[in-house]
Parts: sequence; C-alpha cells; structure tokens
Amino acid sequence: MLRFTFRRLLQIIPVLWIIITATFFMIRFVPGGPFTAEKAVTPEILRNLEAHYGLNKPLYQQYFDYMGSLLRGDLGPSFKYPNRTVNEIIGDKLPTSLELGFISLAVALTIGITLGTLAAVKRNGWLDYICSSTAMIGICVPTFVLGPLLVLTFAIRFQWLNASGWYGPSDRILPCLTLGCVYAAYIARLTRGGMLEVLNQDYIRTARAKGASETRVVFKHALRGGLLPVVSFLGPGIAGILTGSFVIETIFQIPGLGREFVNSAFNRDYTLVLGTVILYASLIVILNLVVDVVQIWLNPKLKFE
Amino acid sequence: MSPTTLPSAVVTPEQIETGNSLWRDAWSRLRKNHLAVCGGATLLVLALLCAFGPFFTQSYQDQNLDLGAAGPSAAHWLGTDTLGRDLFSRILFGGRISIMVGLVATFVALAIGVTYGAVAGFFGGKIDAVMMRIVDIMYALPFTIFVILLMVFFGRNIFLLFFAIGAVEWLTMARIVRGQIISIKKMEYIEAARALGLGKRRIIFRHMIPNILGPIIVYTTLTIPAVMLLEAFLSFLGLGVQPPMSSWGVLIKDGAEKMEEFWWLLVFPGGVFSLTLFSLNFLGDGLRDALDVRSSKD
Repeated sequence: MLRFTFRRLLQIIPVLWIIITATFFMIRFVPGGPFTAEKAVTPEILRNLEAHYGLNKPLYQQYFDYMGSLLRGDLGPSFKYPNRTVNEIIGDKLPTSLELGFISLAVALTIGITLGTLAAVKRNGWLDYICSSTAMIGICVPTFVLGPLLVLTFAIRFQWLNASGWYGPSDRILPCLTLGCVYAAYIARLTRGGMLEVLNQDYIRTARAKGASETRVVFKHALRGGLLPVVSFLGPGIAGILTGSFVIETIFQIPGLGREFVNSAFNRDYTLVLGTVILYASLIVILNLVVDVVQIWLNPKLKFE
Repeated sequence: MSPTTLPSAVVTPEQIETGNSLWRDAWSRLRKNHLAVCGGATLLVLALLCAFGPFFTQSYQDQNLDLGAAGPSAAHWLGTDTLGRDLFSRILFGGRISIMVGLVATFVALAIGVTYGAVAGFFGGKIDAVMMRIVDIMYALPFTIFVILLMVFFGRNIFLLFFAIGAVEWLTMARIVRGQIISIKKMEYIEAARALGLGKRRIIFRHMIPNILGPIIVYTTLTIPAVMLLEAFLSFLGLGVQPPMSSWGVLIKDGAEKMEEFWWLLVFPGGVFSLTLFSLNFLGDGLRDALDVRSSKD
C-alpha cells in the first residue's frame, strides 16, 4: 500500500513537468503577445515592457528562469494586472472556486447516492423508474442550459434568489445545485449499478439470513461495496467539476478562478494562464492519486491488476 | 456451393433453418426497446429537419429589425431573436453545425481510439503496458483546459475544433477496443489468419476489428453526445463555432444572455439540444443492451 502510494507519487513529477513544459511552449508559439492588443504602443515602450518581464531573453533562458522561480513557489508577475503577482490573484480567487466545487460535490454525492440506492433497492419498481429517469434528465440537460433555466425560474419569475453574485449563503444555492445536479446524475447511475451487483452477492444473503434488518443490510453491508464505482468516478468527476466551474462562474458572475482563467486566456496573460493550468493540473493529478489509493483501500483485489 | 448439388427432394424451403446473424438478433432486441426506438426516431426526424428544413423555411439570416424579438406566433413558430431572425430556422441551421461537429469529431476520436487500442491489445507485453500507462496518465489530465487554450490561441477555427475535441475523446474508446482485442486474440480464426501468413495490419483491420464492431458501434453512439456537449460548452464560453455560423451552443449562449426578457431564446434551443442528447443516450444504451450482451447493465 505504502509502496504503491510512493510509486504513484513519483509518477506525478514527470507528468506535471510535461504539462508545464508543454503549456509554456504552446503559449510562447502563439501568434500575438500579451501587449499586441494594447493600443498605440510604440516600439520603444514595447521593448521596455518586454525587458521588464524578461520577454526579450532567449526562449530557453525564459524557460529556465520560470522553472527556477516555480520551484521556489513563485508564479511570476501578471502581465495584465500591473503590480499584481499570479500568486496573489490565485490566492484571491481560488477560495471561491474551491467553495463552489466542494459544495457542488457534496450536493452531487448526497443526491446521487440517495437516488441510486433507492433505485437499486426498489429495483424495477416505480421508484426505480423515477430515480433512473431523473438521472437521465440530469445527464442530458447540460449545466449551461440548467443554470439559466434555474435562474429564469427561481430568480426572475419567483424572485426568491439572486440571479447572480456571490455574497450571502443563499447565493450558493443555484450555482452549486446546477453544478452538482449533473454529477449527481452520473453518481446515481453508478450507485444503482454497483448496488445491484452487490445486493446479489452471497454475503448479502447471509446477512439477510442472519436476520439483519433491510436498513442494516443496505447501509452496513451493501453500501461499502456498492459505492466502489462511485469512488472510481470521483477522479474524472472532480476534474469535470473544476472545468464545469468555468461555465458556472460565467453564468452566475462568481468572482472565482475559473472565470479568471478563461479571461486570462483571452487576454494572453501568459503567466496567469500558466499558473492556473499548473494549479488545476496539480489539483487533478493529486486528487486522482488520492482516489486511486482510496479505491485500493476499499477493494484490495485491485492491487493485483 | 450451388443449390443444385443438394438433393432437392430432402430440403423444402420451409424446412430451411435460417440462422440468425448477430446483427439480426441485435436488431430484433433493439426493436423491442421502446426508449431506444423513440430515441432513434427522434434523431432521424431532427437530422432530416436540419438537413432539408432550411430549404423550406425563411433564411436564418433574414433580419427584421422592426419586428425585433417576438414570441412564438403563427408566422414564427418559435419566435424571433432581437434582430428579428426566425428562431426555428436558426435552430435548424445551428443543428447542421452541431450535428456535423458531433459526427466529424467522433470520427476523429474513433479513428485514433480504435487504432491505438487495437495496436496495444494486439502486440501486448511491454508495448501494451507502456501504451496503456500513457492512456491512464492522460485520463488524469485536465484536457478541457487544453482545448480551451488551443481554441483561444490558435484562432477559433472549426477544423481545429474537430481535431481538438476528437483528440480528447478517444481515450475510453482505446481502452474498450484494447480489452476486446485481447479477448479475441487467442481465437482459432486469428491463429488461422496468422498461419496463412497474413500481415499484422491485415489481421488487425480485416479480421479483428470487424469482429469487435459491436462494442465499437455502441461506444461511438455514446461518444457523439459527449462530443456535442463539449462543442456546446466551448461555444457557450465563446470559444467554439464563431458567427456568422451558429450552433446550438451559440444559440443557448445568446438565449442565456437575453432570457430575462425573451425566454424563448433560451428554452427552445436548450430544449432541442437536450432532446438530442436524450435520444442519443437512449439509443446508445439500447444498442449496448442489444449488441453487447455481456456488458449490458443489470
């Protein structure tokens, strides 16, 4: 177990290195720099700007400079926000995005596991059909349709909630529900499948034969095994929630890192793009590692595959 | 052999047992699945409407600024947008692009995924280990972020869009094909092909892939909605299809911006898009149950 974790940790290093290098050079080979859009920049000023940010050095020199400062945890200055560093901007915006992501994940897990378990226990009954078709709706109505529809209903028609913004706790409801629902749908399907498989196993029959109540059978015995597919989905799921937050933050005008990332790409703010990509990539790679380890902890059989 | 060599007195036409091929079996199973049939029919209608409808409707570009955005009426079934353009024909035109992106990008993903998975599965051993390890690692990468960067930096070109989306969605296909190839690798007919001295490429593409078409078709049907979703996602962020072309994603984006006053601009494109995804998913699930008995759900 420890050896496995350690080996996977070592694998992270080359993966992240490849991502950083690829992104770095991809950005540099793009036609148009961060200052080309600015109006009336004389060649002199452009030269000064480039000298200020070290853009006039040879490319490999820039690369080694960047990697050097990265190792010290410094993501460099932002090109578009004068006098702000990328670290500051990320520190400013990330907590909002994390909050959005975590609440959405919690929503997804709560709704998804409940619906999926209900559907599996009442297999082929009307409850199953309701749960399964709700899940299908969740999968087929994308966030960028569901979000505006929810706003239209609850913010514009009934005026119960704010259409956008991120101030009070009630502002969390619509964005997190929108983002959570899609993944709740996937989780419900996976839970249903996993639970159905487990509920047919001998040890469940044994538990029933020993007189365990149905609730105890489901919650104590079946759920642990039945949730395995959900755990393995969490890796891609978390990545999806992260990228999904780009759209959600745009729809609800939430001042988070996702919206900042899309804007920085439009603005060609090299360092901010690079910093955000590195952050997201590390988050996703590390969370995937955690998911893998948890999976093996839950199901030791996987170790031999 | 010609039928005349058979003693005709022994076998009458009624006695001939027509063997059911895999495809006929699958077709009869699929037909019994009402949801899948409905999905398929809906898709057919939508595709025909998008393909031929624009010849009969008003042009999607005709502006009528005096009319502006008007709700659904007899003249404009689904209303008009702020420039007075007929929403129904805009949805049909947008559908052309969305469906085209869905098909072409899926084809790219299909070509990469099938070849990659087949090679990994066929050669096995170290090659397989390395190739699948790469897929594992790529699974963990934030690909959507790279697609966004590609689209921002290298112009929002529709061909780049095809390629970028296809390059993201092939991973699962590669895994599925590899698993299937491994499972048939040791079969006698493959051995026979080897014994005949056929080349590796010929064995893979002529003998193995046709035998795993079932899972490939199933997964292709399920890839199309994923691809269309990604296209709409990019278009919603302003990174996908660019004006004057429009896709369902673009229409939804426009609608979301103006929904406060003109709800129909959001509801109809969003509805059509969701309906398409629904149908594709139901058809895909139905095909999976029909063709791929082993992995069918419960």
